[in-house]
Amino acid sequence: MTDAAPSGRHDAVVDLAAVRASDAPWVGPKMARLGALASAGWRVPDGYAITAAALEGWLPPAALAELHRLFSAPVAGAAAAVGAEPAGGGHQRLARLSEQARQLIEGQALPSWLADAVADAHARLEARTGRGAALLVAVRSSAVGEDGHAASFAGQYETYLGVSGIDEVLRHIARCWASGYSAHALDYRRRFGGSSPLRAHDLAVGVLELVDARSAGVAFTLDPVTGDRGRLVVEANWGLGESVVSGQVTPDYWTVERDSGRIVERRTGGKLVWSVLGEAGGGGAGDGGGRGTVLAPLPAELAQAPCLTDDEVRYICRQAAAIEAAEGTPQDVEWAIARDLDVPDSVYFLQHRPETTWSTTSPATPAPGTPPAPPSGQSFDPVQYALRNVFKVPGT
Amino acid sequence: MSADPLRVFPVDDFVREELYPGYRQAFGSQPFVAGPVRPFSPADNERYWLRDSLHFSEGMVPASVATLDDAQTWGAQLGAEIVGVPPTRGSVNRLAGTHVYIGTIDVDTQWQVQARAARFGQYVSPILADFDSYWSMRAAELIAAYEHFDNLDLAAMSPAELWTVLKDAYAFHRRAWFIHFEVMYVLTANYLAFYALAQEIGLSGSQVSSFLSGRETFYSRTDEELWRLAGLARSLGVDSALTHGAPGDMRSQVLALPGGSSWVAEFDSFLAAYGQRTEETCRVDTPSWIEDPSPALYSICTFLTKPAGFDFHAARAAAVAERDAQIDQARRSLNGSDLTRFNEALASNQAANFAWWNEEHNYLIDRRAAIPVRRATLEVGARLTDAGRISRPDDMFYLFKPELFDVMESGTDGRWAELAAMIPDRRAYFEYWRERGPSLPTMLGTIPDTVPDPIMIEVFGLSGHFLETLRGGAADSGAEIRGFPAAKGVAEGVARVITTVTDLHTVQPGEILVCGGTTTEWTPAFGVIAACVCDTGGSLTHAAIVSREYGIPCVVGTAVATTMIKTGDRVRVDGRAGTVRVLA
Repeated sequence: MTDAAPSGRHDAVVDLAAVRASDAPWVGPKMARLGALASAGWRVPDGYAITAAALEGWLPPAALAELHRLFSAPVAGAAAAVGAEPAGGGHQRLARLSEQARQLIEGQALPSWLADAVADAHARLEARTGRGAALLVAVRSSAVGEDGHAASFAGQYETYLGVSGIDEVLRHIARCWASGYSAHALDYRRRFGGSSPLRAHDLAVGVLELVDARSAGVAFTLDPVTGDRGRLVVEANWGLGESVVSGQVTPDYWTVERDSGRIVERRTGGKLVWSVLGEAGGGGAGDGGGRGTVLAPLPAELAQAPCLTDDEVRYICRQAAAIEAAEGTPQDVEWAIARDLDVPDSVYFLQHRPETTWSTTSPATPAPGTPPAPPSGQSFDPVQYALRNVFKVPGT
Repeated sequence: MSADPLRVFPVDDFVREELYPGYRQAFGSQPFVAGPVRPFSPADNERYWLRDSLHFSEGMVPASVATLDDAQTWGAQLGAEIVGVPPTRGSVNRLAGTHVYIGTIDVDTQWQVQARAARFGQYVSPILADFDSYWSMRAAELIAAYEHFDNLDLAAMSPAELWTVLKDAYAFHRRAWFIHFEVMYVLTANYLAFYALAQEIGLSGSQVSSFLSGRETFYSRTDEELWRLAGLARSLGVDSALTHGAPGDMRSQVLALPGGSSWVAEFDSFLAAYGQRTEETCRVDTPSWIEDPSPALYSICTFLTKPAGFDFHAARAAAVAERDAQIDQARRSLNGSDLTRFNEALASNQAANFAWWNEEHNYLIDRRAAIPVRRATLEVGARLTDAGRISRPDDMFYLFKPELFDVMESGTDGRWAELAAMIPDRRAYFEYWRERGPSLPTMLGTIPDTVPDPIMIEVFGLSGHFLETLRGGAADSGAEIRGFPAAKGVAEGVARVITTVTDLHTVQPGEILVCGGTTTEWTPAFGVIAACVCDTGGSLTHAAIVSREYGIPCVVGTAVATTMIKTGDRVRVDGRAGTVRVLA
C-alpha cells in the first residue's frame, strides 16, 4: 500500500457484520448501508468488503503510468472526450480509450498482501455459509461517491453474479475496478462532474453470498411515476433481480397504500423472460468467467402467475418503509426471495439507495461526486430537546 | 403449614380513630395522586380553570362524575407522575353545576422539576425508540378487554355475576384512561420537541402537525365507510329516504324501498365493525352508534347533500400531496445540521405520531371505554325497573358511583326508595345546567400571564394572546378577533354558532362554523362548512388537524369567537393570519 491507511479503518478487507453506516467513506455507501441493515437485524446476504483505500494503491506503477499515458496523451480528441463536450467522433474515441484502459487493468493481478487478505475473508465466508467451495457470490462495485442524494451513479460500475472460488473472486475485483473506465462511466462522470479519470477513483468492492432467488425485484417507497409518498411500488419477476433492474422485462407490479398496507393496484402477467444464472463455465451475458446471468424465456406456467404472494408484497413494503424511516428520505430497495424458505425468513435485502428522481430539487443535497457525509449518530434527540426547549428545565 | 380458609385473626383490638395524639384520618392521602373531581371552593379563585368544552360540551350526569374522575383527573395525574412530565403533575377537575373545568397542577420546586426531568428521559426514550411495539401492546390490551365485555350476555347473568361485571367495567375504565395519559404524555413530548425545533430553524410551528397529517386513522376509515355507504345509497336509489326522513324512522323508510334491505344489511355490518363508540368522552349516558345510529346516518346525509359528490379518495390524496409538498418545501429551506435535525425529528414523529394518535386513540379509549360501564349499569337499571324500584333503566345514570356501589355491595334493597326519590330532582338539575352551559365563562379563577404546561398550551390553546384576550374581555364587535392560524386559506360566509355537537345538524353547506371546540364527532360537518373558528385550541386541536385535511381555513384559540359572533353574522376568516372579522 503506497498511501497511509485512512484514519479509523485500517483493515483492507472487512466482514459485512463489522461494517457500520459511518464506514461509507471507505466501503462506499452501498456496502455501508448493507452493513447497517445487517447490524440492525435485517436479513441481508453475508459477505465482506474490500475498502476503497486498499484498492486505491493496487495498480502496479507500470500499469498506472500506462493509464496516465492513455488519458493524458496529446490527442486533443481524447482530452476533449473526457473533459468537455464531445465533438464529432468523441464517443468513438471514448469507447476506444475505455477499452484500452479496461484491458490494461483487467490484466493486472492484485498485490499479494491484498489477495491474501481477500482469500482469508473468502475462506471465512465459505465457512460461515456452510457452502464451502460451492459458494456462489456476487462481486459488487461499491463506489465511494456513488448513490449520492442528487445524482445516482448506480449502474456506472459493474456487478458480477455467480462467481465462485477465490481466483475468480480476485479477478472480478479487478474487473469491478476496471468497470469505472467503461465508456458510459467516463461519460457519466464528465456530465455529472465526478472526479477526473486521471485520478484513481474511489471504488470499494463488496463480495456477497448470492441469494438463490425464486423471485426478486425492487421496492420504491414512493410512486416513482407520480412522486406520491402515500404509496409504495413493488416491481418483481421470477428468478434473479437483474431482469427487473435492467428493465428487460415488464415486471409484475403492485401499488400498496402506505398507511393501510392495502394493495391498491396490481398488474401481473406481462412477463416474457427471466434472469437465471448462466451455465458453469459457460459465461453468461457480460461475463468473463463467472457464471453471470442469462435472459431466458420464462416457462409458460410462470409467465401468467404472479411471482409474489400478497403477504410477500406487504412484508416487503413494510420493511422498505422501515428502511426509509431509518434513512429519512425515500428509498429504492432491492430484495430477493430465497427459494424454499417461508416469509419472512425468505426475504433478503440486497441494497437500497435514496430515490433520486423526486429529490433532486433540494439545494441542500450534496453535490454529485462528493462522498456523502457519513451518517452520524442521532443528532436530534427529541427527549433532550423537549426537556431543554419545551419544558425549559434548567441545566438540560 | 395447613391453610384454614375460615380462620380469622380479629382486627378488633386495633380498631380506633387515633394513632398518635393529634392524628386525623385525613392525614392519609386520598386519592393517592393529586386530587379528585369536586365542586369549586373559594380557594380555587387563586388559580385558573378552563372550561373544557373541547371534551365535555354538555354537562355530566352523576354517574359520569366517576368516569370523569377516572379520566382527566386520576388518569392524567397518574400518567404525568409515572412518565415524570417535568412541569406538571397532570390535570384536575372542578364542576360548575354539571360542567367541567380543568386546571393543572404545576410542579413548583426546582429540585422536583430536575428530578422529574431525569426520570422523564429514562422513561420516554426507549418508548420513542420503538413506539409501534409499545402502542400495539396497549391497543391489544384494550381490544382484548372490549372483546371480553362486548361478548358478555348480561341479561342471562345472576345478580352477583352482573355486579362483578360492573366492578370489572369500572376497573377497566380506569385502566384505559391511565393508558391514555401515559401514551399522551410520551407523544406530546416528541411532538412539542419537533414543534420547538421547527421554530428554532425558521419554520412555523403551526406547520408541524400538517407535516404529520394524512395517516389513516380509525376515524378516516369510518368516514370512508360512510362515504361508501352514501354512494351505495345513491346507486340503490334509497338516498332520498335518507336525506328526507327523520332519523328515527329512516330504517323503516329505507327498508320499504326496493334495494332497501341490501343497503340496511350493509349499514348493519358497518355498525357491527364501527359502531362500538359513543359521541362524547366519559359520558355513560350517551348511547353507542349501535344503540342509536343517528350520527352515522347524519354523516351519510352530509355526503349525500353535497351536490357534486365529495370524492373521499381525491380529498385524501390531495391532503397527502399537500403534506408532502410542505415537507419538501421545508427541506428546501434548510441546510446542513438544520436539515439533518429536521429529518430526524420528522422521522421520530412519523414513527411516534401524536397528530395521528390524537385521532386514532379516541375509538379505543375516549369514545368506548365507558361503554362496558354503560351496558352493565343499564342492565342493572332494567332489572330494577322490572322490580318497580326505579321508573326507567337510565334513571341509573342519576346515581353517583359510590351510591350504586354501596347499595350493590350491601344488598339492602331498602335504600333504593331513598335513591329513586332523588332522581327527578337530579334530572331537573341536569337540565337546568344544560341550559346554562353556553353562557358559562371560558375561564374562571385567576387568569395567568402564562401557563407553564406546554401541553395545555398546544392542546387547549392557552397562548399568551388567548389569556390576554380573556383578561381584556370581549372587544367591540366589528373588531378583529385574533387566534392561532390553524389551517391556511381565506373564506367569507355566514356564521353558525354551535355550542354542542347535538346541534351539528343545523349547520348548512357553505356556512362558517363557530364553536367552543370540536372533537371527532364534529368531523362530518367539515365536509360542508367553508371555514371553522373555535374559542379554544392550539396546533394539536382536532379542528386544526381536520381543517387541514379538508382544505378549509381554520382559526382556533380565539377565546371569544362564540361570544362576539352571532349566528347569521357575515364573517371573514383568514386562516394564515389567524384572524376573524365580523363584516355585518
